[in-house]
This record gives sequence, structure tokens and C-alpha cells, in this order.
Amino acid sequence: MTTRPTGIPPTRSVALAMIVALAGASAAGMITAPGAAAQSAAASPSFRPVTNDRLLAADAEPRNWLMYSGNYYSQRYSGLDQINGVNAGQLEMKWAYQLRALDRAETTPVVVDGVMYVTESPSNVTALDARTGSQYWRYVHDLPEDLNLCCGRNNRGVAVLGDRLFMSTLDAHLVAIDAKTGNLIWDAEVADEKEGYSKTGAPLVVGDKVVTGIAGGEYGIRGFVDAYYVDSGKRAWRLYTIPGPGEPGNETWADDSWRTGGSPTWMTGSYDPELDLVYWGTGNPGPDWNGDVRMGDNLYSDAVLAIDPDTGELRWYFQFTPHDVHDWDATQIPILADTEFDGQPRKLMLWPNRNAFFYVLDRETGEFLLGKPYAKQTWAEGLDDKGRPIRIPGTFPSVEGTTVSPPISGGSNWWSPSYSPRTDLVYVMAYDGETTYYIRDDEYVAGEQYTGGGGETPQPVDRYVSAVRAISPQTGDVVWEYPVQPRSTAGVLSTAGDLVFSGTVDGHFFALDAATGAELWNVNLGARVHAAPMSYMVDGRQYVAIAAGNVLFTFGLRD
Amino acid sequence: MSKHQPFAVLTVLSGLFAAAGTGPAVPSVLAQGPDNPYATQQDVESGQRLFARHCSRCHGLNAGGGERGPDISTGEFQHASSDAGLFNVISNGIADTEMRGIYRTRSDQSVWQIVAWLRSLGAGARVAVAGDPAAGGAVYSGKGDCSRCHMIAGAGGRHGPDLTTIGNRRSPEQLRSDLVDPDARVQPQWWRVRATVRDGPVVEGLRMNEGTYSIRILDGADNLWSLAKRDLVASERIEASSMPSYADALTDSEILDLVAFLYNLTGSANGGGAR
Repeated sequence: MTTRPTGIPPTRSVALAMIVALAGASAAGMITAPGAAAQSAAASPSFRPVTNDRLLAADAEPRNWLMYSGNYYSQRYSGLDQINGVNAGQLEMKWAYQLRALDRAETTPVVVDGVMYVTESPSNVTALDARTGSQYWRYVHDLPEDLNLCCGRNNRGVAVLGDRLFMSTLDAHLVAIDAKTGNLIWDAEVADEKEGYSKTGAPLVVGDKVVTGIAGGEYGIRGFVDAYYVDSGKRAWRLYTIPGPGEPGNETWADDSWRTGGSPTWMTGSYDPELDLVYWGTGNPGPDWNGDVRMGDNLYSDAVLAIDPDTGELRWYFQFTPHDVHDWDATQIPILADTEFDGQPRKLMLWPNRNAFFYVLDRETGEFLLGKPYAKQTWAEGLDDKGRPIRIPGTFPSVEGTTVSPPISGGSNWWSPSYSPRTDLVYVMAYDGETTYYIRDDEYVAGEQYTGGGGETPQPVDRYVSAVRAISPQTGDVVWEYPVQPRSTAGVLSTAGDLVFSGTVDGHFFALDAATGAELWNVNLGARVHAAPMSYMVDGRQYVAIAAGNVLFTFGLRD
Repeated sequence: MSKHQPFAVLTVLSGLFAAAGTGPAVPSVLAQGPDNPYATQQDVESGQRLFARHCSRCHGLNAGGGERGPDISTGEFQHASSDAGLFNVISNGIADTEMRGIYRTRSDQSVWQIVAWLRSLGAGARVAVAGDPAAGGAVYSGKGDCSRCHMIAGAGGRHGPDLTTIGNRRSPEQLRSDLVDPDARVQPQWWRVRATVRDGPVVEGLRMNEGTYSIRILDGADNLWSLAKRDLVASERIEASSMPSYADALTDSEILDLVAFLYNLTGSANGGGAR
């Protein structure tokens, strides 16, 4: 009787030995058979320098996420569809990375060819293996001990070009870091943090320059948008968001109030390569709630600026909230979309604004096309045909307090909205809240907050509603909404798998059907989702990543 | 200048560098003494202005809680109980939270003045009360039947606020109002809910916590329930107080005595209980 062989038959074991040898060889770089590196489990991800062409064609490599909002149109849309409506219910955690700082994360990772760059509070960045969550290197920025900060002690993300990363720091610097090792390449001082300037937003690479904004609207700064040469870190141009004496628009600030007018630029803008225009949102005029000391429209606060990226010249502007007295910064993500309006293809800018109105603008000229509330608002009857608000009397802050919707934090805020070219819908995390606004006298002192009042939330927060709202660019109508409790300050991602992802204040992260808002999946991550999701692919597997609390989680399908 | 930390070194020294990883450690200042040396009415008013400038963005202009910071207008604080403790929190912040200290930009006097203003909120300075606390205690256990819903030092019911230290949080005037007009101030943690489970029971009780997908209830029999919202056919929130008004049930002098009894409940102030 012949003994049956146990285990692996001889022919198969020879084949296995060959595969193992092949894998080992390709890991050592000796074999470059096509496909072998990608398919072999032993091959490592490799970082290829990010050229300008790659940034311009970011949509063509959906497995990567090359900038804060995914692409220059800032649509925060992933072209991956491996995760979709059929299988989203099966999502499971793949790996988690616990940020070294316990501050609540606001960051969006950037992924280049399997390497993930994650920023964390206060101004540090870690390079991770996007497949496993293990670290390549970590950069820690030296910060002064006594920073003046109004708000989050945080960083939202890097920009990348070539083999360099660019990051804002809380002490108002811009740094360039080697993407492979974390070595510092250059460090440019953008402004003096002692006067209340700071930086938190992800910069934007345009051509040979890094475009970046500034924070400090509560400290009576004079806001600006800057561009720095990627090679040297020298400043290429600065566009002040408040015109100086003699410049058009300066007359919209009474007396000398322009000097401390705020109008910061603390979020990340967008770029249209065909029109060669950079778009950037500006924030509140200062002092926030006392408009009496700065009569006039206060240009260019609460506006979108269309900027020539070579010279920094202003091509056009549109102001959402003239003479704002509610702190309704327009420091939000300008979404660009090429879709139809009035039956014609049009280059649009779509903007669910903090003031609770959803705007559609022509991004070539800044022409106002449409504006409709997408969240509860009690301050304007509507917008006139130029898009200027028709204010309801009695809605300004008062000594005894005036309750108005939206609240200080707005109908929405800095957290990213999303646009899906497949559904042709804008998705935004909206909030129907209110604030009782007060006015107070304040004197400007350099480096101290200069806000002229404040607010209180008049009812228990449980009475207000957050919701993901899907808005049609053609009509401004809310097509569907998905309410969440307690509320949300999370960004939104949409994908080619026809999914929409977002999160809640109590730590839930969920997936919805992008066309209908039907709930497909949710998980409790245990701490507030205060960042926006993104998606990438490594080794043929799609991941969705989200920071919740101070942990970065990734999710994918079961193997 | 940057600190470049190679991976291998990091794993060995990560314990030592844990603080450095989040930026340079901020040295603490401590109050020079236990008592607030700046406690005049003038100081209270200065404190209010300072609070508006430095603190109101997070805690609201009247300290009642804002978009990012909790309500600190009640007179009881989670991270401090004494004036010196408050001084330390305002100066140094609270580690690993968004609460940052202001000691670098403000003098000791300013910090004390903010303390003075915070103390003037909530129950305010202690006052003498008319009314007999002992008689009030008899009303509490007798006619008032208060321990049906309220606990004092572990004895009593679960469906109303724990009263062990209520005298620290509410002034006599506020206590009177709580007794005769309980609907005037019902905080969300005392809202009730009536939930109907599909092909199942109706669960009614305290809304302990509610999220998008589930709700947790303490029912009338003191059972803890977790209900998935997708399993509910109806869910009704009841924001009115479940406490009856005692305006008619008790005489004026009984209310006076009961207020005195409650105002005397100052317990141990280290806040170990639930809120």
C-alpha cells in the first residue's frame, strides 16, 4: 500500500517555494516583474515625488489623497468605489493610530503612494505606513510656551509637492519638511504670534508656490493671504484682506478701524487651473460683535477672494455678510464644480456659508447666481439679486442680548462639505441653532482678544438639531437630510461608491447612501468626530480614514 | 528649529519625551494663599469684564456654557472647590483639555478678580435664612415626600437631582423657586422620555443619554434600559418637570422651613457624586 502524502503535494510545494523566493527577491529589489511588486505581500509602498501634474490630475489617482480637500476643486470626493452601498454594512476597523497629543484632532491625512501624513496638535506631523498604521518618522515643531490662541490648539493638515511637505504652525510660521525623513528644510515666519497671529489650516500648493492663510480674527489683526516659494521659503506675495488707505475698499471701514479689522484666512482655499484663479475665504471683521466702531461694509471680511496665484492680485471678490456683527466667518472651503445651471454648463462655486445661506456663484466672474437658506436663520429676509442680504431689523447684538439664528458657530463652519459629481449634490453638516448675542465696549490691546461682546446659548443644546443636508446646486433646495444627535462638528466625504460619510459629537461615524440619505452603517468611536473623512487605497484595498478624539481610525472591507 | 526623533530612539525614550511630544511643558503657578484677596464688589465687576474678554468665547458671556466650554455659573466646579483651586485652574488651564490658562498674560490680581466674579454667580455668598431647618427636615420626609425622588447621602430615590450638596449650588431664593415653580428650570439631564418598542413594551423614565442610534432610560422601577432607535415606533420627549409644584401643597412657613433645610445641605464639597 502506498502511503498517501500528507500536507502539501510535492508539485505544489515547489510552486510555493518559487513564490516565496520571488517575493523575497522582489522585496530585495532584484526582480521587477510587472505586477510582482504590487501583488506581493512583502513589497513596500513607495513614495514617488508629487509633481505639479499629479496635483492637477489628482482625480486620476483616486488611491491617493494628495491635498487637504482631495483635489483643487475641494470637492472632498473619492473616486474609489470598492466600498459601496452593497458592502458598506460590513466595514470593519483596520488599524488605529493614537495621536501623541490628547487634543481633539481636526486633521485630514494626506496619502501618497502608501505613505500617510498626519498632523497633530500642536504643530507636529507623523508619516505613517497607510497599510498598517506604523510610523516612518515624526516631526516635532518647537513652539513658544505662551502662545495667544483664541480657539483650537491644532493643525488640520499638510500640503505636498515633490518630496516636501508644507505645514502651518501655531506660532504663525510655515515650514517645509522632507517627506521621506521629517527633516526640516526651511522655516518661514509668516507673522508675529505675539500680536495674536496664528496658523492652523493646511496650505495649498499652486505651481511653484505654497499659498497659505492666517488666523487671529479675535485679536484685531489685519488679515492676509500669503504665497511662499516652495524652493526657498521666501515670500512671493501677500494680499491683505483689508485694503489700506487709498486702496479701494478702505472706505468701507470707518476711521482707523481697518487697522484692527481681523478678516483672517484660516482655512484652505481652492484652485481652478484653467482660469488660473486661487479662491480663498475670509473671516470675521473685528471686533466681532461690536460693529459700531467699524461702520461700513468692512471689505473684504466674510468674503471669497479670487486671486491671481502669480502676483497675488485680487481679480474679484464676493462678500457674503457685509458689516457682520455675528462672527460669521466665511473661512470655509470653496467648492468648485462644473455642472449645469439654468440648463447651461457653468463653472460654479458652491458655498454653504456660515451665515446659513447656500450660495451658487459663477467662479469666473464672481457673479451671484443663487442663494437660499440651508439651515435655520432669522437674520435676513433673503438675498437681493446681487446676493446682498436683506437684513431683518432688530437682529444686531444688544446690551441686554438678542437671540438670532444661526448661532455664533453658524449654519455650518470650517468642517468640510463635499460635492459628488455623480449625484451632483453638495453635502454639508448643517446646524439649526441660535445664540443670544451681546455687545460690549472693548479696547484694542495688541496680543489680546478684541471681540466687543459675546454670546450665550439660550436653550439647552439638546433642543437644537444638526443634520447632513444634501443640496441641489441648480435650485438650492435641500434634497434630503439626515439628522443626528446630540449634534455634529464633523466634515463630510462623498465617494464614487455613492456613499457619504460623516460623524457626530458623541463619537459616531456613519455611512449614508449618497442619493437618498439612507443609513447604511455606523460605529461608535468613543470621542467627538471633529475632522473630515478621506479615502485611499493601498495594495488594492480601499480604506476610509477619520480622526475621532485624538485617534485616527481606518476602516475597510473584511478580507 | 525642529526636533527630529528617529524611530528607534523614540521607542526607547518615548516615556521621557511624552511631555515634550506635545510641546514644551508649561510651568504651573500656584495661588499664594487659600483665600481670595480681591473680593470687593469692585473686584467682582472687574472680574466680569476680564471674564468677558478671556473666557466668554468658550464659556459664554454669562458663564452659562458656550460653544466649547461647560456651564461654570452654578457655583460648583468639576476641577476645583476652593478659591485657590479656581485660581490655579484659571492660571494654568486643565491639562490635556482645551482649557488653557491665562497666567502668562494676566496678573495675579486679574485672576483673583475672575474668581471673585465666578463666586458671585450661582448661589452667591452665603446668607442667613429665616426658617427652621429641623422643621424643614420633617417636611422633607413627611408632607413633601421628597425622598421618593431625591437622594441625600445615598438615601432616597433616583429620579431627581441628588440633594446632598444642594445648598452649595442654589441660593434660598433659587430653592424657593425650585419648589414652587419646578418647570422654570428643567435641565436636559432630567428630561423624561416615553419610548414604544415595536412589538414590545412602552418604556418611560429618565432620559439618561440619547444619541442618533440609541437611547438609555431609567424607568419608574429603576431599571436601566438601552433601546435601539430603529426598534422604536414612537419616542416622545417630556421636558416638563416631573416634580410637582409645592405652592399649594405646603404652607408658606413650611416652604420657608424646607428651604432652610435644603440650604443647609452643604455636605462634603469634593463633588464625588453624580451630577
